[in-house]
Amino acid sequence: MDEKKYAKLEKDTSPKTPLMRNMIFAFLTGGTICLVGQFVSLFYMTYFDFTERTASNPTVATMIFFAMLLTGFGLYKKIGQFGGAGSAVPITGFGNAVISAAIEHKSEGYVLGVGGNMFKLAGSVILFGVFSAFVVALIKTILVKLGVVSW
Amino acid sequence: MNKVTYEKAYCIKMEGTHIRKLSLVIFAVIILSGCSGSGFRIDNNSSENQAKAEEVLKNDKRLTSAVTTFHENNLLTAVTLKTFSRFKKVKIEKELKEKLENGYPELDVTVSADSKIWMEMNKLIDLKDNKDKGKKIEKLKSLIKEET
Repeated sequence: MDEKKYAKLEKDTSPKTPLMRNMIFAFLTGGTICLVGQFVSLFYMTYFDFTERTASNPTVATMIFFAMLLTGFGLYKKIGQFGGAGSAVPITGFGNAVISAAIEHKSEGYVLGVGGNMFKLAGSVILFGVFSAFVVALIKTILVKLGVVSW
Repeated sequence: MNKVTYEKAYCIKMEGTHIRKLSLVIFAVIILSGCSGSGFRIDNNSSENQAKAEEVLKNDKRLTSAVTTFHENNLLTAVTLKTFSRFKKVKIEKELKEKLENGYPELDVTVSADSKIWMEMNKLIDLKDNKDKGKKIEKLKSLIKEET
């Protein structure tokens, strides 16, 4: 049996991925999370002195808080099974990755367990974010100093 | 025994209807909530002529509504934009500000496309007494400038 034959066999026997169904579910799940986020943002704008621009920070924090509660009660994995990427791409998916790692390693202690393993899954996201922000700011600073663009 | 089978049949028949009804109601509320819009409002307490501002705002096709107030030497405008114009929010703010400054060179013009400012401006216009208006306008202006 050569490689091509095996690939064909595998393709025939493995169940077909319901691509359209997955996409629709991901769309609905991600859309629902964003709808909740929009309501949270609206709440901060209505009852506190936040503008559309400044309301984003407390909104993100609140959404991560919701994700924390759902992860702790074991509900977020059900949402993840249903929605796939729709539940992983918004900030709640990032929160889930951090929090589930923290919960998993709690038995090893707070410093070496939770502290050491919390960012195992999602630490690269933070690292990339900080580093790319640094690079972009550096480029912009140089361009401003050269007089190409203004702030 | 008969009762149990009857209830089972009822459960199967009614399965999911309540949640379907509820989701339909929620869906309708969300869809219909887009139908509100108050158009163009102008509140003028000063001696300035408001026609120029009205012309500038009403002729801009990208705006869905605008709330304007003249108070002492302040001209504060909050606008809401069409969905796809929202991507060019900052640019449109700048353009409108320039246009209004041309019309009223002696006034301190502020334009914002932020929905928070729009909300507060509507509240401000509905206010009966003009006593705290100056203070509130200053507060809004500082809110627009806030970055974090």
